[in-house]
Amino acid sequence: MNGLETTRVSSRAILWVALVLLVVLYGFPFLYMLFTSFKTPLETIAVPPTVLPSTWTIENYASAIGRDGVVASFINSVVTAVLSTAISLVLALPAAYAVTRFRTRFGRFFIVGALVMRMVPPIVIGVPMIGIFRSLGISDTSFALAIAHATISLPLSIWLMSSFFEAVPEELEEAAKIDGASRLGALWRVVLPVTAGGIAVTAIFAFLASWNEFLFALLLTATRSQTTPIVIANFQTQFGLDWGAMTALAVLYSVPVILLALVLQRHIVAGLTAGAVKG
Amino acid sequence: MMLRTHTRKSRRVLAGATGLLAVGITVVLSGCGAGGGAPAAGADSITVLVEAGGHGELQPIADQFEKDTGTSVTFVELPYDGLYNRLNSEFSSGSLSFDVAALDSIWLPTFAEALTPLDDVFTDDVQSDLFPALVTEAQVEGSFVGMPAWTNSEILYYRTDLFEDPAQQAEFKAEYGYDLAPPTTWEQYSDVAKFFTQDTDGDGQVDVYGTDVKGAVETEWLATLSQTGEKNMVVGDDGSVSLGNADSLAALDFYTSLLPYAPSGAAQLDWAGSQNLFNQGQLAMMRFWAHAYKQIPADSAVAGKVGVTTMVGGPGGVAGVPGAWYLSVPAGTSKQEKALEFVQYAYDNNELSVDTDLGLASRISVLEQYQDEPGYENYKPLIDTLNAESTVPRPANPNWQEIVDSALIPMIQKAVVPGADNQQLLDDAKAQVESIIE
Repeated sequence: MNGLETTRVSSRAILWVALVLLVVLYGFPFLYMLFTSFKTPLETIAVPPTVLPSTWTIENYASAIGRDGVVASFINSVVTAVLSTAISLVLALPAAYAVTRFRTRFGRFFIVGALVMRMVPPIVIGVPMIGIFRSLGISDTSFALAIAHATISLPLSIWLMSSFFEAVPEELEEAAKIDGASRLGALWRVVLPVTAGGIAVTAIFAFLASWNEFLFALLLTATRSQTTPIVIANFQTQFGLDWGAMTALAVLYSVPVILLALVLQRHIVAGLTAGAVKG
Repeated sequence: MMLRTHTRKSRRVLAGATGLLAVGITVVLSGCGAGGGAPAAGADSITVLVEAGGHGELQPIADQFEKDTGTSVTFVELPYDGLYNRLNSEFSSGSLSFDVAALDSIWLPTFAEALTPLDDVFTDDVQSDLFPALVTEAQVEGSFVGMPAWTNSEILYYRTDLFEDPAQQAEFKAEYGYDLAPPTTWEQYSDVAKFFTQDTDGDGQVDVYGTDVKGAVETEWLATLSQTGEKNMVVGDDGSVSLGNADSLAALDFYTSLLPYAPSGAAQLDWAGSQNLFNQGQLAMMRFWAHAYKQIPADSAVAGKVGVTTMVGGPGGVAGVPGAWYLSVPAGTSKQEKALEFVQYAYDNNELSVDTDLGLASRISVLEQYQDEPGYENYKPLIDTLNAESTVPRPANPNWQEIVDSALIPMIQKAVVPGADNQQLLDDAKAQVESIIE
């Protein structure tokens, strides 16, 4: 083995060690939660705690799924996240395109305003929403919660999409126009396909923002639209903590987003790279 | 060629996104929310806001209420902190989603102005069937604003396998000169805690501790404070703060004197942690809320070996902290009549809560009716502790939660660190409480 190969092997070994460390650091809390979800009720509260279950059981999963309202809350979470993502995309795409292509003073003010909105504490927005949704007759619906969630994801979506649109050369649209396309036609046939990866990234971030959101769900939902994060929190009461069922439900709730990330990872990476390099 | 392929794939992604939008819009148009039951929007229904753990206590009452009156009850469950935030938000926005709320006793003063007075419900008969501390607690500025749905107090838990062991009894008698029994005074508690801090398996490490010391909660210390005979729990009716006086120092000194007989990590120990330690057989004694008696797991190390008795007493006698939850009716609900009917019904049918997860009730007559039945051994200690002369409710102060979070718990957490200056900590906490209630 010559010197160059030795250096290459050493670099690879360091990289692997770093990767393993990173995975352990980030993955351990999730793995601990996963293992806890398979422990017996007594072992979940063992002092000192165990990492691996001494006896594996799915009792916690049965208990979590069998609890009133869990399945409904799961459906509510899906519906809310899909709606919120849809609202964010429908509003963010034209807004970001307009800001990027028509460089006006208002556009610059708008884009900074979107960033400022992202910094407003959610509770400030949440409390007035209780009354607004009630007067509109849409309180305790997934639609209302999705609108609330869109207030979180929309500013981020506009910023993300602006950077993706910025990366698309205007010459592409010009060429399409020369071929007879209207501005909207050029947007639909040329710009959007080119930024599909960015749209996927934006959609994923919007989806995740809604999927994991707690405060708005706490303030704005009741019997019809309560989402799973609230139900998970309900396992901790003033009178006790059902660790097993709580971790089981948390694992189940993590699965869809993990799958989503795995399926769309190519778009996420491509989209993020595009945004980072060209934006 | 590659560009065309890329464009085709991208269009597929776009088509997918469009599909997503279509699904979203369809759901919107069709009205959304899977729901956990119909909302309580109809005339024959009410919504009750509860902490998740308290839902079970009220469900049998709600079921019977529906059968008897035709009015259905929908519960909205929220986590403890979340319930407070929700109440705060809804009351401040003036837009209510519930007709009845189950409130922690310490929240009554905070929300009293937004609640319907229940003075008509609190007849003399009702008051005489409730513990004096609960009657006091239900009143804010002379008006009753909550009807206790169930009540709680710390009682003393002990391991019967240790206390009834003849070898342990003989050894204790030889060492302390009196019979080993569940302690009733601070001195006895300290002796027994010290005695049972043992290395039972001979490996040189202590594996059973006499007691726990909870640093991350305040009510355990507040009960100790009341045991000194102190009648003004931290904040008096006139706004005076008693922290730093001789009683509060005696309480904190006794509290921290138990540290050598308790597992390490007292500063972070809360209710759940304490309960876990006891259920795993690591504590010989535990002062804990009465409901925990029903929650000992069947596979626990102490299952079938747990005795319960009245809370210990200090110089001022036995005392606990009443931990009741109250049913209250918001002044802003349009279903006042039905909501008040439910509150009255819950009181009249209080015994329906006895056979539930927590197994608690609020009426003395109900607790007394069950106290001699197997499985309800915790009722007699609960009754005796709540009836004790030194048992007083927490102050009806709207800032109480802030006092607890900002002053009391940090003070206790610092006090359970060995070498702490208790008098200084109490004086500092007093200044902090005074600045909060100013």
